[in-house]
Amino acid sequence: MAVNKDKNSYTFLFAIIMVVIVGSCLAAISMGLKPAQEKNQVVKKKMDILNAIKIQDVSRLNAIELYDKYILEDECIVLNEKGEITGAVAFDVDIQKEYKNKNLPVAERQYPLYVAEIDGSKKYVIPVIGSGLWGPIWGYIAVSEDKKTIFGATFDHKGETPGLGAEIKQSFFTNQYDNETISEDGNYKKIKVVKDGSGTEPQKVDGITGGTITSKGVEEMVDRTLQVYVNYFNK
Amino acid sequence: MSENQEKIKAPKEPLFSKKNKRLVIEPLNDNNPVTLQVLGICSALAITVSIEQALVMTGSVFFVLGLGNVIISMLRNLIPSRIRIIVQLVVVAALVIIVNEILKAFLPDMAEKLSVFVGLIITNCIIMGRFEAFAMANKPWPSFLDAVGNTLGYGFVLVLVSLMREILGAGKFFGIPLFGDRIENTGLYKLGYMDNNFIILAPFALFAVAIIIWVQRARNKSLIEEH
Amino acid sequence: MVDYINIALKGIFIENMIFAYFLGMCSYLAVSKTVKTAVGLGAAVIFVLTVTVPVNWLLENYVLQAGALSWLGDEYATMDLSFLSFIMFIAVIASIVQLVEMLVEKFAPALYGALGIFLPLIAVNCSILGGALFMQERQYSTIGEATTFAVGSGIGWFLAIVAIAAIREKIKYSNVPAPLRGLGITFIITGLMGIAFMSFSGISL
Repeated sequence: MAVNKDKNSYTFLFAIIMVVIVGSCLAAISMGLKPAQEKNQVVKKKMDILNAIKIQDVSRLNAIELYDKYILEDECIVLNEKGEITGAVAFDVDIQKEYKNKNLPVAERQYPLYVAEIDGSKKYVIPVIGSGLWGPIWGYIAVSEDKKTIFGATFDHKGETPGLGAEIKQSFFTNQYDNETISEDGNYKKIKVVKDGSGTEPQKVDGITGGTITSKGVEEMVDRTLQVYVNYFNK
Repeated sequence: MSENQEKIKAPKEPLFSKKNKRLVIEPLNDNNPVTLQVLGICSALAITVSIEQALVMTGSVFFVLGLGNVIISMLRNLIPSRIRIIVQLVVVAALVIIVNEILKAFLPDMAEKLSVFVGLIITNCIIMGRFEAFAMANKPWPSFLDAVGNTLGYGFVLVLVSLMREILGAGKFFGIPLFGDRIENTGLYKLGYMDNNFIILAPFALFAVAIIIWVQRARNKSLIEEH
Repeated sequence: MVDYINIALKGIFIENMIFAYFLGMCSYLAVSKTVKTAVGLGAAVIFVLTVTVPVNWLLENYVLQAGALSWLGDEYATMDLSFLSFIMFIAVIASIVQLVEMLVEKFAPALYGALGIFLPLIAVNCSILGGALFMQERQYSTIGEATTFAVGSGIGWFLAIVAIAAIREKIKYSNVPAPLRGLGITFIITGLMGIAFMSFSGISL
């Protein structure tokens, strides 16, 4: 090789060529894969919503089809803190982003409500978001047609301890929410998460042993969010 | 070791000569990157909760190390020595970004589980270590074999640790329950068997690696350290 | 204020880089044979984390994130450069480490004597890049929070390496089974320390 590799000009030239090649390669790949990645996120969200209304055998492949079948897109709405309808599109609201954004006043958060119809009866799906021990936890609560009891719930988490806090996504925990009352005679009812087996009140769910902070996080996020929606339901 | 390898210059050498084979086999036991060279441990421990994760991680490392070793080796006569570390970093980082984008597009659930640990492949010492110690001084083909060997050695430890953790900790193998249903209380669980939740937690990964080291060094006494 | 203390304590004890995430294990194992070198490397990690995380935070919030470039004008508001974050972070870290090395050598030769040999090692220490990636993932909302997180994690890492070095100095006198000597026993001790640190995890501040 005749080029002197130690010359400054060579070093600079090499660096510039490298940056250009690497930069354009990465940009091309990122652009090319972007549609697939965005679709994945949409599909994941639809899967979560479908799981909350207990649709069986939802997979990445059929999620969009099933979503179109069960969800009444025209009736989905977005509420504000006071339980009033705003004009926004429910599916476009990213509550995770709003929850994390500390510059956004709590009063300005948006509350999307999805409406589904299964075998002629309506279900209302409410997304919830909160904090566990290690990071964000979130989920979807489906409310029955009477708008007074819970039909189903799903929870998920980012990095709770496996075997402890992470158990909130298991069915033995989420199934406890089924048929819990959220509103009685026009009043909101809080669902308490209690230590395994303790508590006598009817409005309770057994927490996860060893996952107290995560369980409390679930209680807090469900309580905080449901208040807004019950307010709307009772209008 | 690198001067030794420089001799592989004869063009007629078969693709799988004795020396080349050694490149693949050595990292599997006596020169294992994780348990002996103490490289790439961070990721080896953090993502070994399930076998699937361990395999995807190994695959990602193979992609980065294999391609990176070949690229660095092809460019080895062109890279200005003063900025060679930066060049190596750029190559690793670019390849890792590609892996990350591909995972996000085609294996989104896995990408979510591995989260920051895909990014941390950049600082996986195995990769920079092999670039510097091997690819900078060798031709592309031996460099590729070196990558194969080191990934196998790395993956071997990862899979072994994740086997222990998934089977004993979660009672599952590739996500399939082995001992019956824990919640429904069937199978072995009915007889009083319990999954050891501790095994899923971080510290057990360290014990698992220690056990592997113990077995390995007990078999090959020459590897024993003084202190 | 409580927020900051919370973030710092979390970084030091609860989400300790070594015991909870195993970040920076390579140098942690390699440089923990004596307390003196461990203190040097630990201090260097605190230092570099404290400098690089805020810089990367600025980069993330004003260049890389989706919509971060809106300060340049409306036409840039939809740009999303987040796919470049790995390469930008590592470039920032590598160049800052280089810069710090030169500055320290020139203006604080005594400090350079203590930290000098460790600085190049740090560019490829997982905990530094890990710090940047966690910062990105957890989306700290102010630069103050990001810096506090960096200092906290640095101190946590420092604690871990100094503690293990102290134990390793003493363990020389113990009769460890031969195949476990060195690396093996260090892994086991780290595991035990990790269990001890897990007891912090129930604390909510």
